[in-house]
Amino acid sequence: MAINLKPVDVAVVGLGAAGGVAVLPLARAGMRIAALEAGSWIPPHDFRADEIHNNVRRRVTTGTKVWDETPTFRTGPNQPTRRNAVPTMMNAVGGTSIHYDGNSWRFHPWDFKARSETIKRYGAGALPKGTTLEDWPVSYDELEPYFDTVEYEIGVAGKAGNIQGKIDPRGNVFEGPRQREYPMPPLRDTDFTDMLQAAARKLGWNPHRSPAAINTEPRGGRAACVYHGFCDTGGCHISAKNSTSVTTIPAALKTGNLTLFERSHVTRILTDNNGKVTGVQYLRDGQEYFQPAKVVLLASQTYENVRLLLLSKSKAHPNGLSNNHGQVGKHHMGHWAGREVMALFPFDLNIWQGAFAQGVVVNNWADDNFDHSALGFIGGASLTVNHEVHPIAGAAMPTFGRAPAWGPRWKAFVRENAGRWIGAYAQCNTFPYENTYLDLDPEVKDRVGNPVCRITSGPKENEPRASAYAAAKAAEWFRSAGAIEVATTPNTEGPVLSTHAVGGTRMGDNPETNVVDKWCFSHEAPNLGILGGSVMGTHGARNPTETMQALAWRTSERLVKNWKSIAG
Amino acid sequence: MSDSTNPAKTGLSRRTVVVSGALIPLTAIRAAPQSAVSKTATVFAPEQRRILEAFLDGLVPSDENGPGAVGCGAANYIDLSLADYLAAEKATFLDGLAAVDAFARSSQGAPFADLPPQKREAVLTAIDNNQAPNLRGFFNRVRRLTLEGMFCDPSYGGNKNFAGWDLIRYPGARLAVGPEDQRMNTPPTPYRKPLYGDGHGH
Repeated sequence: MAINLKPVDVAVVGLGAAGGVAVLPLARAGMRIAALEAGSWIPPHDFRADEIHNNVRRRVTTGTKVWDETPTFRTGPNQPTRRNAVPTMMNAVGGTSIHYDGNSWRFHPWDFKARSETIKRYGAGALPKGTTLEDWPVSYDELEPYFDTVEYEIGVAGKAGNIQGKIDPRGNVFEGPRQREYPMPPLRDTDFTDMLQAAARKLGWNPHRSPAAINTEPRGGRAACVYHGFCDTGGCHISAKNSTSVTTIPAALKTGNLTLFERSHVTRILTDNNGKVTGVQYLRDGQEYFQPAKVVLLASQTYENVRLLLLSKSKAHPNGLSNNHGQVGKHHMGHWAGREVMALFPFDLNIWQGAFAQGVVVNNWADDNFDHSALGFIGGASLTVNHEVHPIAGAAMPTFGRAPAWGPRWKAFVRENAGRWIGAYAQCNTFPYENTYLDLDPEVKDRVGNPVCRITSGPKENEPRASAYAAAKAAEWFRSAGAIEVATTPNTEGPVLSTHAVGGTRMGDNPETNVVDKWCFSHEAPNLGILGGSVMGTHGARNPTETMQALAWRTSERLVKNWKSIAG
Repeated sequence: MSDSTNPAKTGLSRRTVVVSGALIPLTAIRAAPQSAVSKTATVFAPEQRRILEAFLDGLVPSDENGPGAVGCGAANYIDLSLADYLAAEKATFLDGLAAVDAFARSSQGAPFADLPPQKREAVLTAIDNNQAPNLRGFFNRVRRLTLEGMFCDPSYGGNKNFAGWDLIRYPGARLAVGPEDQRMNTPPTPYRKPLYGDGHGH
């Protein structure tokens, strides 16, 4: 029997990148919040400079529960289902903001109106075949104050390229206008980042440093980054990376209004006969609890947001919560992103160390920053070259046709070259399609007997073309920097599981095609808010976290200002 | 120990605080409570170990560029891993070794570990070219684990005496990396202490 707990104002499901931000404005407004997090606090001294632990065995990011809940994957309704990819979710206070590289971007203004802008500039025929693309119900300008708030609350380091319309070529000249400079300067320049920036400028491009949620100076009572690295797929042992676990969550706890329940695995969101949510049911150390709440904010990773809604069937929501229009799971996108282009240089790069996010980015070939008239695709990709290559990954390098993959010649080759190569990370604008969606797997279940999420992702034309176009640009960049070999492995299949999975509970004004409204509250259960990547209608050509966080802050603020009408 | 690997000369822990310009609690950069894996386990019978070492020696031989995969401790790493984190893979792995040996006997007329280097190479080449029944996947797995064993932190039983890191000139993880450690023409001084050893760890 479930133990009934004392009612709270708001129950938050998942205390990661999005939920961890959303609790702060609520707590400051005096709301009583219960946050249910499936993972636990990870003490900073548990984070290690250990490639086997972090990157090879993924001991930081993947506990048993995460492996258990890994989605299955197929390429179409009649295709075989497989389940062999590395999980992309993380259970912990702070969630994936613990282990991300810290890249912290605002989506581009074009992302929010890709459909109308494409039709306006190139005609309706230019829209990708089979896409279900809509404009977002919110514009960049409407989100700008929330980006600003998040950047200052968590701490983001970068160089502005556009302050209120004033362009600065040291920053991202393509970005939407921002009201002020970043709160901290970018991560440190190195010979390598100087070389890459010079090479891009030689081509007439506009390189800039990655914006990162990492302290570049002491801030918030925490140290500045010491560039020792190992923060990719791992956490920061001095808490210089501004995960929600060291920023907004502790700040919310300090108000006394947030109660955090670790190891709490939410299994259902319950509703009354009118379809309004009444609270959440969860398992903690084998015991079932019911946490009544006037409002529920669902803030887990995209796959789990969709899964929990589909599992939460009731009289008013017979097909799953907020799914009476059959939209839960639709418009899903795995991020079309990868390291397709590798380059070999005739000198040591010395990029063994440093923060991974200490990189250089080119946005000239992303969004609608160039003319697509004759190209046969819309969007494009940002290109990032990061710092930091760990030793196993370095030695696992491609041999560029210069040596076999083993034997004495391989050994001589890596001896010379393991420290002389790097790849470019291309992140494509990614769009929703009819043939790509999430539902529940009919066979595979997690350890408490609930079906796991199933990804169906059919073939696409637009993204592979954009990706190939961007790959050619990356190769050009590397050659300009002095590379003696460039190897390209085209990505035509797209993602299987994606750390940047978005869509599935899309936001939009039309309840026939969207799960949540423009404030991210459910069209069908008005006291249910949904946070995180699952509300996004497109995937930008860049990392999604900060955009999720801006949306999460905005949803919380909406709730505070309209408490009576939403909580009823 | 050469000067370049002597922490007293490199003075790392002191520099950490200076470089960062920030207060870092010492407790945050210490600790390393336990060794990563048990150092005693062996999952191989002597004959199986011989096959494995012959395989690794073919992949990365000892030569004028330094110790090979075996000298770098990759066989130890695989042994300790199969006894611990990769225990679920142990049976498949032992079957793979037996299949390599059987293929050597049928194609070269002798046990794999008894073959001279040239014939071992012929066996491995045939497997790599998918000319042996169902062994390509095992070959790739051994190659991958060999990389892990050669270039991991020595606490995992591989990268013996840091020979793997010396081979590729990996400077070693350190507590803080200053601007001078990120120059292109003057690589950082190698730092050679295991993560989970005496007096170090982060």
